[in-house]
Amino acid sequence: MNWLKRPLRAIFDRVESMLDAVFGAQHNPLAQLGALGWYLFWLITASGIYLFVFFDTGVTQAYESIESISRDQWWAGGIMRSIHRYASDALVLVAFVHLLREFALDRMRGVRWFAWITGLLLVGFIYVCGITGYWMVWDQLAQYVALTTSRWLDVIPIFAEPISRNFLSNTELSGRFFTLMVYIHIAAPLLMLLFMWVHIQRYNHARVNPTRPLMIATTVAFVALSLLMPALSQAPANLDQLAASVGLDWFYIPLYPLVDTLGGVTLWGLVIGIFVVFAALPWVPPLRRAQPAVVHLDNCNGCARCFADCPFSAITMQPRSDGSGFTEEAVVDPDLCVSCGICVGACPTATPFRRATALVPGIELPESSIADLRERVEKLCAGGPGGPPRILAFRCAHGAAVESVPGADVAVIDVPCTGMVPPSFLDLIVTRRMAAGVLLAGCRESECHQRLGVRWTEARVAAERDPYLRDRVPRDRVAVSWASPAQKSVRARAIRNFATALAGLDPALPRSATGSHAPWRDAARRLARPLRWAIQLLVAVGIGTLIVRYSDSPAITLRGADEAIVTLSFSHAGRLKEECRKLTPEEIARLEPNMRRPRDCPRARWPVYVELELNGKLVYRGEHLPAGIWDDGPSSLFERFAVPAGAQHLTARLRDSERDSGFDFSNTATVELVPGQSLVVGFRASDGFSFR
Amino acid sequence: MASVEWRPEFATGIADVDHEHRELIGWINQTLAAAGDTAGDPGKVGDLLGEVFARISAHFALEEHIMSARRYDQFAEHKRDHEHLLDDIRDIMDDVEAAGGPVEERFSARLSEWFGAQFRTHDARFHQRMPGA
Repeated sequence: MNWLKRPLRAIFDRVESMLDAVFGAQHNPLAQLGALGWYLFWLITASGIYLFVFFDTGVTQAYESIESISRDQWWAGGIMRSIHRYASDALVLVAFVHLLREFALDRMRGVRWFAWITGLLLVGFIYVCGITGYWMVWDQLAQYVALTTSRWLDVIPIFAEPISRNFLSNTELSGRFFTLMVYIHIAAPLLMLLFMWVHIQRYNHARVNPTRPLMIATTVAFVALSLLMPALSQAPANLDQLAASVGLDWFYIPLYPLVDTLGGVTLWGLVIGIFVVFAALPWVPPLRRAQPAVVHLDNCNGCARCFADCPFSAITMQPRSDGSGFTEEAVVDPDLCVSCGICVGACPTATPFRRATALVPGIELPESSIADLRERVEKLCAGGPGGPPRILAFRCAHGAAVESVPGADVAVIDVPCTGMVPPSFLDLIVTRRMAAGVLLAGCRESECHQRLGVRWTEARVAAERDPYLRDRVPRDRVAVSWASPAQKSVRARAIRNFATALAGLDPALPRSATGSHAPWRDAARRLARPLRWAIQLLVAVGIGTLIVRYSDSPAITLRGADEAIVTLSFSHAGRLKEECRKLTPEEIARLEPNMRRPRDCPRARWPVYVELELNGKLVYRGEHLPAGIWDDGPSSLFERFAVPAGAQHLTARLRDSERDSGFDFSNTATVELVPGQSLVVGFRASDGFSFR
Repeated sequence: MASVEWRPEFATGIADVDHEHRELIGWINQTLAAAGDTAGDPGKVGDLLGEVFARISAHFALEEHIMSARRYDQFAEHKRDHEHLLDDIRDIMDDVEAAGGPVEERFSARLSEWFGAQFRTHDARFHQRMPGA
């Protein structure tokens, strides 16, 4: 899949770099799509609760109540309604970009399969919530959604009779079915919230809130959008008169036109096929995983620092198993461990100063031991003919390359993540003058590949999270540089500028830091503040325009300008194949005691055969089997035909008995159809065919 | 050089902490003995100090984990004392590295102060404030 991931990653990298410059790495919206999704969910929930207070769930009152909310109290209900719609559209956008980005960054394989699969299921929930939501407005779009959803569901052979029959005409519209939609629209988000919680279960310190400025900006943007371009209903639904076209919300129902063009069965196949392909991606191909971290109980006292820092919840604290005086020990779940080494960086025994015993920490990576790390440090810092390197860099495997630049002799040690480097290593290198400075060269600041490596590294160096880098280590000799593989120039500039800064330092190393704990970092190239604000506004306007533009347009054509619709539909039980028969006493005696009965009534029914002629031309014929596993249910049909407006001569015939020719029921009618009119050819055994 | 001896008043009542205090005293006494051995290998003192530094770091990490889990009200003060002692040990380690000693007086005085004052005040208080700890 690399042929697809690489160009996608390059695109994301470029856009993310631009947004870093505009929003700052901390507030880059692209780096917090999951958290933004959570925030949008809360916005939708809050606005939905408000709308529900004023919403009338009656099928005939729903439209009027929504109109009243939107127009009579435009200053509150109208804004809430617009936020509800636009935030829902934004949620689809955020979910798909999130999905695409995780794919591009190859963050769905290995242990991340769980979040990927639950994320896919969440997309399904988003659609159920959105589609049932549109249903409730009961305008032309709701009518289209109701009819199309019903037809799509009707191809699944689990319903006794077609759901579509609920929407035959205004008079036959079922209020109870409508109420069911309201319940689904409330239950689905609750289930979705449960799945959102499950989605982040395997992530420690999962981010569920965007940064505060981003939350405020998002809310303000939605309020502004709601005032400038309020979301309004289309014309009220009218099942007796079909609109020629309807504006679609292309975020939620882009596939619905395919129900007509491809057919329900093919569309189900397509949707299930796409889901299966996406669900298989974490294993195509399977990720080659490094050996997981191992715990050495001789050096583990159960301090739980590794447990607190593991980004993937791979470590649990469990009762001690070695009979020592400690009560707990760290236990690694190899299925969840990504071998990032952040746990090693947190372990207090992973210090290079230990020499009286073998340097084996409480937890470490078998393929990248801490003793080996010390050995590599000592070897590189022993130096060549020119002495020790000016800069010793620990380079994250997912970050930009680190290379020597003129004037900066850089020795590089590759690590799975900068979070693997225990702060005491920096202490050793700087205070023992093994190099002039240390560079922690990680991946992109706004998006650490190992989730928390950048954050914990920064916090440890700043003495805000254990294990602290000791105060005595001068921070002007410890640098951080965060750059993705594509940000080569950012990395090179940081190295060059760090080397220059080191050259200007007093060679007499201070014994303790005086003042800031912040490490040296290259000043980020940021745009002037007014320019940043202007671009931020442009980004917001661009996204807002995209959402408004496709939330109810372009429209699709539902019928020709001079067309009417004829719907042939019935639910009718064919006659019984066998009449009831009185059992003889001998037959009754042969039955099991609990099965004895005076009469035998076989339940199977004859199929129902039906034909429809339009102006003497046969337009439909079909045999419909009884529903139910005993063939004892009704036979059902829902079929629609577009016909030219004007006078139409209709003949309907039906056979529901054992006869193999001729008909049991027949009726004809001549009707004058106006464009858009919906005529229902129905059938009841008591009344025969009706043309309404 | 006087060694540090375990005394009943050092006990916090927390099995993990007391177990590790006893282990630490063993390491500290080894270091003090090496420091007092003028005929011995000066490098050995530095190595042992490194080991003591690692062990005390781990011990403090465990104590802080327990204090944090039990929401000990003087956690911040206790943590600050831990950091000061680790800074002092690191200073002593660098002095040994730079000059090869003598450090035993400073080391002994600092650790005796910690084991004495710390146990009598902070650790004892922690034990009292955390019934069943």
